[in-house]
Amino acid sequence: MDYHRFLRAQSIMISAGSVVFPFYLLFIRNVGESFSQFGWAYGLFTLMSACSFPFIGRMADAVGERNLLLLYTWGMALVMLLIPIAGGIWAIYAIQILMGFLGAVQKTAEKSALSRQAYEKRHTDIGKSIGHYHLWTSVWSAAAIIVTGYLIDFLTIGSIFYLASFMYAYAGITLAGRAKQLAD
Amino acid sequence: MIYGLFFILSVTIFQRQPIFAEDAGKLLPTAIKEIRPASTAVSLEKWVKSANEHHGKLSVAGMQHSQGGHTYYPGATMIDMKSYNRILDYKPDERLITVQSGVTWEQIQRKINPDGLALRVTQSQAIFTVGGSLSANIHGRDIRFGSIYNTVQSLRLLTPTGQIIVVSRTKNPEWLPNVIGGYSLYGIILDVTLKLTSDELYQIETKEMSAEKYPAYFAEQVLRDDAVRMHMARISVAPDTFFNEMYVINYRLAENQLLLDKHRELHHERIIALPKALLGFSRYSEKGKELFWQIQKDYMLNKGGDYITRNNVMRSESEFMEYEQAGRTEVLSELFIPVSKFTVFVRDLKAILRKEQFNLLNITIRYVEKDEQATLSYAKEDMFALVLLINQGTGQHEIMETREVVQKMIDAALVHGGSYYLPYYPYASKEQLRKAYPNIDEFFKQKQTIDPNEVFVNLFYKEYK
Repeated sequence: MDYHRFLRAQSIMISAGSVVFPFYLLFIRNVGESFSQFGWAYGLFTLMSACSFPFIGRMADAVGERNLLLLYTWGMALVMLLIPIAGGIWAIYAIQILMGFLGAVQKTAEKSALSRQAYEKRHTDIGKSIGHYHLWTSVWSAAAIIVTGYLIDFLTIGSIFYLASFMYAYAGITLAGRAKQLAD
Repeated sequence: MIYGLFFILSVTIFQRQPIFAEDAGKLLPTAIKEIRPASTAVSLEKWVKSANEHHGKLSVAGMQHSQGGHTYYPGATMIDMKSYNRILDYKPDERLITVQSGVTWEQIQRKINPDGLALRVTQSQAIFTVGGSLSANIHGRDIRFGSIYNTVQSLRLLTPTGQIIVVSRTKNPEWLPNVIGGYSLYGIILDVTLKLTSDELYQIETKEMSAEKYPAYFAEQVLRDDAVRMHMARISVAPDTFFNEMYVINYRLAENQLLLDKHRELHHERIIALPKALLGFSRYSEKGKELFWQIQKDYMLNKGGDYITRNNVMRSESEFMEYEQAGRTEVLSELFIPVSKFTVFVRDLKAILRKEQFNLLNITIRYVEKDEQATLSYAKEDMFALVLLINQGTGQHEIMETREVVQKMIDAALVHGGSYYLPYYPYASKEQLRKAYPNIDEFFKQKQTIDPNEVFVNLFYKEYK
């Protein structure tokens, strides 16, 4: 398993998520009219995740993490294109449901990839490798959050989502590249 | 690739999405062309000239606390004056300050408070811009300086055809009555020189009374007593004391002005959990209204004897009134009634409102002295101003329901020689507007002369012209 490529792709997608997250909150806040709608939007996200976990878990065993992560990155790249043009609370609910599903895909793929790697290599230092993984994804995520703080003075909210879309697409390309390399 | 196609599609749709403008009333969301923050007089001049050449439409916005779309218009460019906010000149010795119109009262207070100076006329809160306040010809708790019109020494105006002119009582004086209280239909106020006064220390005086006793009390104990500088009152909207019980607050010049230094510091918004919760209860039930009135009244009556500076009276709290609820909003409506007709008017209002399902949360009463300088003046004689805070739904049906009640109340005011205030939602009918503001047709006619391309527009103009 090409751990470094996996790590790179994960870092890019987590950074993309960090870039948009605060603006996504603002965006929902603007579309929604009340805290109850805000609650529903996040509730639907989590509920959708909950419902999809068992199914996605089985998928991970059947098709492998890489395919799941491809689904996640390209799915998120498309969802990011929907957000700037979403109007009305029902569009937000739909996007939250989609993202709830994709979020579950990402969580499952990430965890099963990490544990599969540990299992295959018969690592005895599982904690250490998980620490290493989280270190680098978090470092990239932190960098993305800080840089975005500066970017927002120059970019509109719309462009932030398009930027995140590119980042997800790039993560997808990185993952697809790995398959080719493995095929070689 | 498929992704590329989706990307192009998304950006194309995104670019075509309209921008929506909305003011504090939240009842008139409107698709506009764009929002442009004001930066310099030169660029503003350029925008106005270009709008004249290219049939563009402009509207002017400050804090957008007007509630009838006075700051925007469908498809028009909204000029946001909040960024046009520098203090240009300050002469404490002459008690004059010149500010760009996007400056807020709060900014001026921070500048002049250390020198022991204060504003002459403002609203009860300091959150508004100077330009917006002049455009709405606002009034407040002061009862000694007359209207805000009197506090303007001069101003510079960007006219609808793109000329920058000085307007004062000696230069281009014919503009002043239409600019003040003109809701920016006569151009953009660029900067204003305002007359200031001394900051003073007041001692709060409170009294509970019945509504019938109020006019006589006001005439004898308030107006005739020069030491009372500012004044406000509230009348109950709670079921048990509905339109009977009142309390008044006088701000009386403190005998020992040496104490002013101790109280000089400007107040900030405090923790607002309790008033917010109480106001919240009062929205939902009669019991809540009862509780809110009792506690608010006791709290206010308890303040009797406290000291407060003039500057602090002019910056009372507003955050606790902020309201967010899906499908509902809180709007204001304001009625003016000649002092001598107060008692009979209150009786009429009570009769109207007893019959209606109308979620009335608060009524504040202030005094405005006769002042007919502005073309759209509301003070044809000495008046009491009753500000009503109304909780209502945002749907068409609910708007119609509120319209019916507000129109009845305006009719009651008009019968007694009263009037109503223009910056709120346009519930009034065209006939009511013409009765309350006999000069309105002249105002619109002159506007068309000085703004032949109708560059400056807003929803108020659209509704009533």
